[in-house]
Amino acid sequence: MALLEVKNISKSFGGLKAIQDFSLEAEAGEIHGIIGPNGAGKTTIFNVISGVYTADEGSVTLKGKDITKMEQYLITREGMGRTFQNIRLFKGLTVLENVLCAFDPQSKYGIVGGLLPTPKRLSEEKRGREICEQYLELVGMADYKNERPENLAYGKQRRVEIARALTCHPKVLLLDEPAAGLNPTEVSELTDLIQRLSVDIGFAILLIEHRLELVMSISHKIHVQNFGKTIAVGTPDEVRQNPEVIEAYLGKEE
Amino acid sequence: MTLYLSILTQILITVVAVCGVYVLTGLTGMFSLGQAAFMAVGSYASGILVVKCGFPFWLACILAVLIAVVIGYLVGFPTVRLRRDYISLVTLGFGEAITALLNRATKLTGGASGFIGIPRKTTFLLALVSAIAAIAIVSWFKTSKYGRQCIAVRGDELAAKAMGINVPKIKMNAFLLSVAVTAFSGCLYAFFITYVDPTIFGWKKSADWVIMVFFGGVNSLTGSVVGAFILSGLPEVLRSLDQYRSIIYAILVLLIINFKPSGIFGEWELSPRNLKALGEKLAKRSRKEEKTDGAA
Repeated sequence: MALLEVKNISKSFGGLKAIQDFSLEAEAGEIHGIIGPNGAGKTTIFNVISGVYTADEGSVTLKGKDITKMEQYLITREGMGRTFQNIRLFKGLTVLENVLCAFDPQSKYGIVGGLLPTPKRLSEEKRGREICEQYLELVGMADYKNERPENLAYGKQRRVEIARALTCHPKVLLLDEPAAGLNPTEVSELTDLIQRLSVDIGFAILLIEHRLELVMSISHKIHVQNFGKTIAVGTPDEVRQNPEVIEAYLGKEE
Repeated sequence: MTLYLSILTQILITVVAVCGVYVLTGLTGMFSLGQAAFMAVGSYASGILVVKCGFPFWLACILAVLIAVVIGYLVGFPTVRLRRDYISLVTLGFGEAITALLNRATKLTGGASGFIGIPRKTTFLLALVSAIAAIAIVSWFKTSKYGRQCIAVRGDELAAKAMGINVPKIKMNAFLLSVAVTAFSGCLYAFFITYVDPTIFGWKKSADWVIMVFFGGVNSLTGSVVGAFILSGLPEVLRSLDQYRSIIYAILVLLIINFKPSGIFGEWELSPRNLKALGEKLAKRSRKEEKTDGAA
C-alpha cells in the first residue's frame, strides 16, 4: 500500500465541478507535480487532501488510515504538512515563533504550565526551540529567527513557511506554488532545497507549480489537470509529448 | 480608607478585569460584549455565598470563579465555533440576559434595588496583590504555547488548523481564562463597594473594557494595563466630567483609530530585555543628535 492514496475524489461547488475523479498514489521519497492552467482545480485538490474541504466522493488514505472525513488539524497531526499559494505566516509573531506554532500542538505541558513557568514548561519550550531552530537551519533561515516575517523578502518568507510545515513532521508535504513571485535565483535555490529535503527527510512531496521548468526538472511523476479533469499522468517526458497536454497549454492546431 | 486609596483600589480592580479582556480581545481577537456579566456572576455568587450561606470570603471567591467558569463553558461551547462577528452578538445577548435575570430573581439577588450587606473585605493591599497576580498569570499565558497559538488563531485560522492547532479548543481556553479573571475582579468589586446592583454590569461596561484594551495597544498587555489605569482613573480624577465620560471615550477612540491604530504601546511589552533595547535606542538617538549638533 502506498504512503498516500487518493482514490477517485470529486468536489463540486454548486454547479462548478472543481475536481472530477482525481486519483494519485505517492510513496516516500517521491515528488509529484500537479500542473494545469488557472482554475484547473489544483489548489482544491490540496484543500481536499489536507482537509480544508471534504470530498463529495472518493477517499484519501494516509499510511493506510482513512482521513477523508477527518478534521483538518487532526489530518495535520497524522502527518500532512502544507504551504499556501499566498503565503500565510502569522502576523504578530517572529519567524521562530511562527515555526514554534507548528510545534506547540505536540508540546507536552498542560494548562498549569500555560499559566505558570513550571519546570516541565521550561524544558518543553527549550526542546521546541531546538527542533524549530534545526528546521530553520535546514531551510537556511536560522539567522532571521528573531525577525518579523512581514519584514522579509518573499523568497525568505517561503522558506519560513516550509520550515513551519516541516515542524509538523509530515509524511506528506504539499507545496502550493512555492515558486510564485520568486526571482530566477530564488527559484533555483528553492528547487535545490526541495530536492534536498526530499532525499534527506524522505517524505512524499506534492507540488503545484506554474513554472514548468521547475516541475519538469524535479518531479518523478506529473499529473496534468484541466477544467477539473486529469488529462494526463506520467513521467515528465511522457507528459511533454502528450497531445492533449500540448493542446491544453498551447491550443489546438487548426 | 482615604479617598485616593479608595480610587486606586477601584482602578486596580478594573485592571484585573481588563487583564481578562486582554486575553480574549487582544490575544485571541474575540470581542465579548457580555464580559461584564461574568463580573456580575463573580460579584453576586461570592456575595450570596458569604451573606446568605455564611462561607468564608476566600472560599466564596474560589467557588464564584468556578461557577463563572462553568457558565463560561456553557456559553463558550457553541460560541467559539462561530464566526468572529457572531461571538460579539452571542455574548451581548448573554450579558443582557444575565442582568435581566439578576433583576428578576428578587429573592436571591435583591432585584433592581441591589444586593446589600456584603462585608468589606477587599483592601488596597489585596487589590494590589490581585492585580499583580493577574498581570503575571496573563503574561505567562501570553508567552506560553497557548498564548502563541492564540496569536496564530487571531492571525489566520485556516493556516492555524493546517499546523495542527485545534482552533475551537484554543479559543475556549482563552475564553475560560478571561472569564475566570473577570469573575475574580467581580469578587473584589463586591467586597469593596459592599453593594451591587444589576445596572452596573451592562454591555456598556464590557465596551469600556474593550476600549481600554484598544487604547493601550491591542497586542500589548502592558498597553492594556496602562489603558485601564488611565481610562478608569480619568473619570475619578475629573469627577465633574463624569457625565461626559462616554463623549471623552468616543473622542479618544476616534483619535486612536486615526493616528495610532495599534494603540499607544502597539506590540511593545514591558520586560527587562525590551527596556534595555529601548534604552540603547534612545542613547543612540541622543548620540546622533550630539553629532549633528557638533557638525552644525
